[in-house]
Amino acid sequence: MNAILLLIVRRALISVVILFFVAALLFCVLRLLPVDPAAMSLPPMATLAEIEAKRREMGLDLPLPEQFLIWLGQVVHGDLGTSIHFRRSVVSLVASTLPATVELAVIAMAIATALGLGGGLLLFHARGTAAEPAIDFGSIVLLSIPEFLWALFFILLFGVALGVLPFTGRLSPEFQLPTVTGFLLPDALLTGRLDVFWDALKHMILPAFALGIAFSPTIMRVLRSSLLDVYHEDYITQARLRGVSERGVLLRHGLKNAVLPTLSLMGVQFGILFGGTLLVEVIYSYPGLGNLMVDAVRNADLPIIQAVGLTYCIVVLIINTVVDALYLVLNPKLRIA
Amino acid sequence: MTFELDRRRMLQALGLGAASVPLIGDVPSAFAAGDTVTIGWPSDVPSWDPNQRFQPDAQPIFKLVFDQPADQDPKLTLIPKLLTKWELAPDALSMAVDVRDDVSFHNGDKMTADDVRYTFFERIKAGHKVDTANSWRKVSDIEVQSPTRAVMKFNAPNPTAPVWLAFLGSFVVPKKYMESTGVDGFVQKPVGTGPYKLVEYQLNSRIVLERNDAYWGPKPKIRRVIFEIIKDPSARVAAIQSGQVDLTINVPVREVDRLGHEPTLAGELNPITRVVLLQCRNDLGFADDNVRLAAHHAIDKQALSKAFYGGAAVPLSVPATPGTPGFVPDFKFTYDPKLAVQLLAKSGFDTSKPAQIKFATTNGQFPSDFDIARAIQQMWKKVGIDAEIETIEYAKYFELNRGAKLPEATLYSWDNATGDPEMFSGYLLNPKLPFSAWKGPEVGDKVVELFSVPDYNKRVAAYRDVAKFAVDKGATIPLLQSVQSLVRKKALTYVKYGNGWVLADTMSWT
Repeated sequence: MNAILLLIVRRALISVVILFFVAALLFCVLRLLPVDPAAMSLPPMATLAEIEAKRREMGLDLPLPEQFLIWLGQVVHGDLGTSIHFRRSVVSLVASTLPATVELAVIAMAIATALGLGGGLLLFHARGTAAEPAIDFGSIVLLSIPEFLWALFFILLFGVALGVLPFTGRLSPEFQLPTVTGFLLPDALLTGRLDVFWDALKHMILPAFALGIAFSPTIMRVLRSSLLDVYHEDYITQARLRGVSERGVLLRHGLKNAVLPTLSLMGVQFGILFGGTLLVEVIYSYPGLGNLMVDAVRNADLPIIQAVGLTYCIVVLIINTVVDALYLVLNPKLRIA
Repeated sequence: MTFELDRRRMLQALGLGAASVPLIGDVPSAFAAGDTVTIGWPSDVPSWDPNQRFQPDAQPIFKLVFDQPADQDPKLTLIPKLLTKWELAPDALSMAVDVRDDVSFHNGDKMTADDVRYTFFERIKAGHKVDTANSWRKVSDIEVQSPTRAVMKFNAPNPTAPVWLAFLGSFVVPKKYMESTGVDGFVQKPVGTGPYKLVEYQLNSRIVLERNDAYWGPKPKIRRVIFEIIKDPSARVAAIQSGQVDLTINVPVREVDRLGHEPTLAGELNPITRVVLLQCRNDLGFADDNVRLAAHHAIDKQALSKAFYGGAAVPLSVPATPGTPGFVPDFKFTYDPKLAVQLLAKSGFDTSKPAQIKFATTNGQFPSDFDIARAIQQMWKKVGIDAEIETIEYAKYFELNRGAKLPEATLYSWDNATGDPEMFSGYLLNPKLPFSAWKGPEVGDKVVELFSVPDYNKRVAAYRDVAKFAVDKGATIPLLQSVQSLVRKKALTYVKYGNGWVLADTMSWT
């Protein structure tokens, strides 16, 4: 337990440094873009004098390091600025969209994990059989299709052709969003609205599967490779010699050890999957952070791009810390070290 | 209320819930199907403060919740709305307006001339960040003479003030309510005088409106309007095809034809007051009149219309659309590649030694924009103009133009819901405005003068002359009157507006 606590503290301290550098990088890169936030925040008919005044008001006439320090000071006080397009506080925009994306990404990751682990075991089980090339080919096909294509394919199949699932928004118009935590599924349960829970789940199935299925083949293939490596270890042979059944060997010895590299991979995958929500959210009109980011890029809304970039960074850091903590839990050797 | 989460009870309930609710919703609704219309819309409103941002796509949504001082009929003629009358002074330095006395906001407050003054003067002076501060910048005061009468005073002639009463962002907001809630409170719970009230809003996802039964004007037939914000065109196609929405716009042109063959759907390509044109610079590779005119003569606009708009887009010779005051029906700029070759030869260019220019285009801003640019590039190549295409973001157009960083030609789409020639030739060719890439005084001076001409007929006639002059000079290359693609359920009818407004308060089920 102490090792885990120590890890979290250490990670938190490192995260502050990482966040500082990411923030500085984001700030500089966005300021180097050929976009004038002052001009963008005024209507097209604004005069040059008005733009200049706006530039001064926004502090854009100051040297870059000074601008960064002012911005950093505001960030520390929880102020990420005002959106150029929406003219609303960026914090409120991010806060209102983040839960939808986190919820979607977590469910998508659960789907990717289930499919990935199941597929990995299937691939491993079929090793050396006639079915192996076919399953292998299937996993490569899955690997080569990006999430937005899955998104469109699912809409056409389940939304249009079969007409069994909705594919716009988070909830049917008949229902009002319950707002306790912002996370729809827990909120529906907390308010005792099972009809809302079911409706929200139906809306989530297609985007979550589109994301999850695209990330599952990597997990499948890494698990299969890890299992193949682990099965060459002496303790597997010894377990067999002790008379442990093949099922027992797999579950108690093989999988337990092979899942560690897979877990590391899943940590990395979650970060990528979180970024993958961008296009999927637009296609499914899902009101999350990705949808907000696409709008921000289209409108050159620098404060939002900056804030969403930082949010992605924070999410990735948290996930990595969680994965490393899990690693410690699952691997006693690391705890001793 | 307390709610205890018991694992067993929850699982049982979940099972029951899952078993009792079918996959796609027969969820109880307070509204019958004929009472509701669901619209697949390509963009969200930027804010629920309707004065805040000029976004043409948001106008048809704002028009349901808020009212404008004036309105336009389907043929775009200016008609009364919250104002019963307006009278622009002969010098265009003031405008007396009569306000309706039977209008209430959704919260029950009566709408008066004070609200008009607040919207177009007080909140601008108070420093609210609204785009109307720009469109109504000439307002020096609004003198309220009675609850139903006011006089708008301008610090410079404002001949298009009546037009702006029905244009972007000009929606009357409630003074008392907004002062009590502040702008932040207002955008959370907006209050207008329009035929619908906002009942639910999910950023980037859904807008739900309910009919305002106390509306002062004609009552809409549809009781509930749902806008599903679907930004992806393919998803909009899927949504209308699957029946998840009843009407959608801006779908790919080829899909309109395909969906139009479905037994329950109707597909439409409606020409609207949007022009697709090339904005030209008067320097660099386009400094030579012959090159610009050759570039114009080399473009087969009919072929572009056929290839990219199913032939529905009308080829244009002036930067104004048919039926609007600034259109010149008897003026035609010919497609003549041979003449283009001759003009280029006069300046020493041919296919072996082509004129070199750069050509900017957006990609995905309006239907087939990038493909149109590539087709033009090929047409130019045949006569001796070598154009290098560069893609720009629409949002950066103004900034690039301000910094004189636009290339010789830019493919551009221009919306003008009013149809007024000032918002066509005036804005597109006024070198002082960021819309015009052309900075030459021979055209620019003529246009700038027209911004102060108070007499409507003189102004319109002069704009027609300027438009012809500018095209003959090669200052602009109008291409096509753009079309709005729309697919709807056949049983849903609506009123077509010449400017592409799709208004739910005109809809009904047959």
